[in-house]
Amino acid sequence: MSTYPFSGRKGLRISVGAGASVLAVFALVPAVAVFVISFTDIRGLPGIPIQFVGFENYERFFSAAKLGYNLNALQNTLVYAVASTVVINVFALGIAVLLNGRLRGRTFTRALVFLPTILGVTVIGLIWSLFFNPSAGPAATIWSWFGADSAFFGDPALALSLVIFVQIWAGLGVAVVIYLAGLQAIPEELYEAAALDGADGWKRLRLVTIPLLAPSVTANVLLAIVGSLQSYQLAYVLTGPNNPATQLLSLAIFAQAFGGSTTSGMGQSQGYAATISVIQFFIVGIASLLVMWYLRRREARL
Amino acid sequence: MRTHITRGLAAMSLTALAVAVVTGCSSTSPEPADGELSGTLQILVSSSAGSDAAFKEVNAAFTKKYPDVKIEFSAVPNENFNSTRSSRLTAGNVDVTLAQPRDVPAFAQGVSASDDNVAADAGLFVDLTDEAFMKNFTPTVLEATSYNGKQFTVPTGLSYYSGVYYNKAIFEELGLEVPHTWSEFKAVASALQEGGVTPLGIGGKDSWPAGLAMLAAVQGLYPTADDKTALATGLWDNSLTLTEGTQLEVLERVKSLYDIAQPNFAGVGYDAIPSGFAAGDFAMTIDGTWNQTTIDSAVGGAFDYGYFPLPASEDAADNATLAGKVELRLAAASNASNKAAALAYLEFFSEPDVYATFVESTGFAPAQPDIAASEFLDGIAEYTKTFSPAWDTIWVSNQDAGPAAGFPFNYPAIAPLGTSTVEQAAQEAQDAWSAAF
Repeated sequence: MSTYPFSGRKGLRISVGAGASVLAVFALVPAVAVFVISFTDIRGLPGIPIQFVGFENYERFFSAAKLGYNLNALQNTLVYAVASTVVINVFALGIAVLLNGRLRGRTFTRALVFLPTILGVTVIGLIWSLFFNPSAGPAATIWSWFGADSAFFGDPALALSLVIFVQIWAGLGVAVVIYLAGLQAIPEELYEAAALDGADGWKRLRLVTIPLLAPSVTANVLLAIVGSLQSYQLAYVLTGPNNPATQLLSLAIFAQAFGGSTTSGMGQSQGYAATISVIQFFIVGIASLLVMWYLRRREARL
Repeated sequence: MRTHITRGLAAMSLTALAVAVVTGCSSTSPEPADGELSGTLQILVSSSAGSDAAFKEVNAAFTKKYPDVKIEFSAVPNENFNSTRSSRLTAGNVDVTLAQPRDVPAFAQGVSASDDNVAADAGLFVDLTDEAFMKNFTPTVLEATSYNGKQFTVPTGLSYYSGVYYNKAIFEELGLEVPHTWSEFKAVASALQEGGVTPLGIGGKDSWPAGLAMLAAVQGLYPTADDKTALATGLWDNSLTLTEGTQLEVLERVKSLYDIAQPNFAGVGYDAIPSGFAAGDFAMTIDGTWNQTTIDSAVGGAFDYGYFPLPASEDAADNATLAGKVELRLAAASNASNKAAALAYLEFFSEPDVYATFVESTGFAPAQPDIAASEFLDGIAEYTKTFSPAWDTIWVSNQDAGPAAGFPFNYPAIAPLGTSTVEQAAQEAQDAWSAAF
């Protein structure tokens, strides 16, 4: 076994050990701890006795009183994940193909597409809250050209779609960069060969570009699914913590654990919040594994 | 091979230990010398424009008196306050913060206790009952804030929030009078609409400002503390339902108020309301007296404005009081690193002249006798002669019930905030409530 770049095993051990323990302390221990505290009635305050309550939190999650709310959150989460994943990938692929060609102002356009990625969630929230301000925002002006008006983020029928739109806007940049990297790894000769065989632009895209981009597709789809299933920040900053129209599972966790709502008198219950996150963990895990299994199989077939 | 694994594990755990030691190290706490206060005093409150400015004034005055104490003041948004306080109490790096432990009413005995009650029981807050400075406060206010017969908090004042700010200029122009009954209120709203003015402004995007409409409706329909306690008791023992009688009327009032609000109010934030009111976009808005200083500076003397209780009842006598609550209550953390300074701060805050400047900036009604209230509050004194606690200070929600029964009047579900009719919203709340029993 080579110990490169270390001269002996000692250095190797220390560096791997350091990395592994950072991972253990900051990822493994919290993950296991969340699972354990989902069986307790822990609250976010010091000095209060913690009791094991068995499956009580899980029973509460599936109780008649909470089930409707939780199913609504689950449904919103799935709509959010599927819609944003599909749209981000379709758009990102199209934009990446365009930007990979010899386009004028290509670098500038690439920078423009990537720009939202560097903005923080609160900045994004502020920008779009102002844009969709129903009384004075630019969106209201655009709507008024068509004789329409809307409460935008306050409209229960529209709010989720708008949050998804903002998520797409914010997530597009990274997906485009991954696709661009994938595109640039495709050898030029293949296109030349395809052209010699008489393949037109669309055929080259379908038969050369997309099959060879398969690893990038897998990476992008998985990133988008995991990211959107866990995401709550945008819904929180754009529509608040307690809006049923945009209630996501992760937002429910946040509201339970950190008491987003003081007016409802709901106390914080981090045990119950941990329960929701364990359930969410299984949902995200199963969804990601299924998608990964499918995409990997497809990759192998191509 | 095995020894390699063992050694590897040993190295790993050693590094983990090192990481834990490094991250676990906390700052040392300065012990105050006898009599002399020093060190850092960490204060954490929930933020609002009026109270932030007032606290900063108090802090400046405190630092003048105790120059060796450095104040670290944090004001965090309401929705983040609970989580921030929890983590800072856990880390032991907050000395003075807000808390609201309160006696559990008879109807809700045995339900899971609120965080602040649990925290007070666990001794997280200093018992202030015997502190001399507590005697500066009005005894009835202290009665309302006591928990298990003890005082854990210093009240900063009172607020009223079942009333309506109205634009006197618009009212005069259209020849309108302050309404005293629900019919009169509806007539005023129609007259405003006929005059081309939107009657009401609501910051519906933040949800809770629409909740003020609900609280104001409850205040008119259940005017006294006894009425509200009877309502809560009836709901808890399931002898009353949310789908009939006066309970349903509450939501009907809310719906009527939504109907006269500005277009697309469901997408408008609370912070946009004062400027909208000042610009004359609407003639009235339901808001708390806590926002009076903000509204006043938005209006900037452009017109006169007033405040009257929302007349939700047809009986004018029921509409004669404003619902109120004790505002931000200061507590000292028991595990504070600078407890001496924390207690000195509370004592300093309670000194009548310091406290007088505080209420002047915040616009809170004073919780100490012999302190002059603002001109605005004097103007509404007829509505606040007898203190009438607001519904949300009496109601205790049931953790086992669904979220639709949290308030328990389900105002967020009614269109256009939600998608339901009054009856559907009431039924949804009733179902969510019954499911807990």
